[in-house]
Amino acid sequence: MKRDPLLLTGLALGAGLLFLAPVIYSIWLSFQTANAYYTGTLAFTLDNYGHAIGQYNFARYLVNSVIVSGLVTLIGISLATMAAFAFARWRFWGGDFLFGAVVATLMIPSHITLIPNYLTLAKVGLLDTYAGLVLPAISSGFAAFFLRQYIRGIPRALDEAAYMDGATPLQVLLRVIVPVARPAILSMGLYIFISEWNSYIWPLVAVGRQDMYTLQIGLARLYRINPGEGMIDWPLVMAASTLTLLPVLLGFFLVERHLIRGITMGAVK
Amino acid sequence: MTAITLHGIRKAYALGPTVLHGIEMDIRPQEFVVIVGPSGCGKSTLLRLIAGLEDCDAGDIIIGGQRANDLAPQDRDIAMIFQNYALYPHMTVRENIAFGLELRRVPKAKRNARAEEVADLLQLGPYLDRKPAALSGGQRQRVAMGRAMARETSVFLMDEPLSNLDNALRTELRTEIKDLHRQLGATIIYVTHDQTEALSLADRIAVLKDGHLQQFDTPDAIYDRPANRFVAGFLGHPAMNFLPAARVMGPAAAVDAVAGLRPEALTLHTDQPQGPAVQGRVVLVETTGAGLILHVDTDLGRMVAVTPRISRPTHGMALWIGLDPGHALLFDASGARIDHPR
Repeated sequence: MKRDPLLLTGLALGAGLLFLAPVIYSIWLSFQTANAYYTGTLAFTLDNYGHAIGQYNFARYLVNSVIVSGLVTLIGISLATMAAFAFARWRFWGGDFLFGAVVATLMIPSHITLIPNYLTLAKVGLLDTYAGLVLPAISSGFAAFFLRQYIRGIPRALDEAAYMDGATPLQVLLRVIVPVARPAILSMGLYIFISEWNSYIWPLVAVGRQDMYTLQIGLARLYRINPGEGMIDWPLVMAASTLTLLPVLLGFFLVERHLIRGITMGAVK
Repeated sequence: MTAITLHGIRKAYALGPTVLHGIEMDIRPQEFVVIVGPSGCGKSTLLRLIAGLEDCDAGDIIIGGQRANDLAPQDRDIAMIFQNYALYPHMTVRENIAFGLELRRVPKAKRNARAEEVADLLQLGPYLDRKPAALSGGQRQRVAMGRAMARETSVFLMDEPLSNLDNALRTELRTEIKDLHRQLGATIIYVTHDQTEALSLADRIAVLKDGHLQQFDTPDAIYDRPANRFVAGFLGHPAMNFLPAARVMGPAAAVDAVAGLRPEALTLHTDQPQGPAVQGRVVLVETTGAGLILHVDTDLGRMVAVTPRISRPTHGMALWIGLDPGHALLFDASGARIDHPR
């Protein structure tokens, strides 16, 4: 039976619009004045963005979020890739146990580590610092596990050829494994970045100073300070939400191309 | 100009069987040695031990006069060509060939020049900027050879480099490898399970079975004077016929001895010939182009003979097979060859 591609396309478009509707609505709302929103009229303005960035400090929160998520992603993916390479390619004493431990971390809910992490960081004086936001987040058991499985699928002959060519283990990792595993590493990087960008509980606990807030904390706080004098200024909140969402969307569109293209294998018959 | 000596090489895998039992080999500088044997005989393992990709449990590997057991692969000055090519998929042909030079910090201009030189030699010039995925099997194999040659090492290890190619290409590349060996003057150790490759390429052949070295000698010696019944049966196509020795050599032969006769040593007759002979019936005729391979059922079992294509025996035809004692090899009950006066 031949399926109607028009019908399928229509259904896919419909589903896509359904998922996008809240986002489109909130972006639309962010360009309205509060007055117009509550009186049900239309009045286009850019002031909400101006207020969010200036008066409500979202420029600072954006910088904080970019620094924290960027560092977590960079350090996290580097550590995960090296761990994955070691687990995939080297047999060493206690290696299987260690790998089991890494996988076991996936079963620990993050809230359980909240208080121990807080106490540790308080003791070493890292609360209210970037280090305090970054350090607890840089080990990703899931990324290490996922990349290890991916690297195991890369023919070992590639490593061996590189060793015969004169490479050291680090060169094999950087010059052979990383380029071949690039799609997996990029997708894991994106996963870590988005998780960290959306992270709320830990920044809430680890940071008290307002100039260290990340976007998520700032956004949540915008409700509480209730800038609408009795009523919530929804267009302002939506402008702040759009500011929070935009960098992730942008990042996704940049990386997506690489994710989908992947790498053309031709190494091994 | 590098000699390789293997002394008492043993290798067992963890929780697995022993794959190599005390291998002794003395490989001369510039020699082309082919290691041949059935699947699982340990030939690839032996090559990987020489390369340094695996450690041996006992014995010495001496490369160029230096004990190499504890040297990392990159320090052994050896190039290796893998069965599945193992080209770096993210690099162009040029980068693949020059990678070893890059790791040794050869300046870019120099290593590119070397890559082009090697590519010309292997007729890869037009493909230098392509990635491996855009090459055919034969071209990929050439790139793998180029990668090994770029570094100008004196020892090449080749692990069944032609086994993924079709027959015509295999024959062509076989000739090229032989040519390259002459041009490069390098020591080559070549692993294959293909006896044609072994016989046509090797200066000396090492025959391996179940991790034991059966014989290490020139192709002629291995073909004419195999050390034992396994070597006799493994090399040569079609395989050697084995018969009770008494039927060929007469009643003087030991009861449990076996006589081996190569298919080309059998003579075919319509009537009973003089001397030892056996009567049989043709059950299968294969044409090889130059000649015919006849499968004949006799009271000694199935025998295989080769004959020129002049008179075409037909299926079911009865004939006599002459067993010339002068061409027979004798093996004792343990399979070892015993000398006999011809």
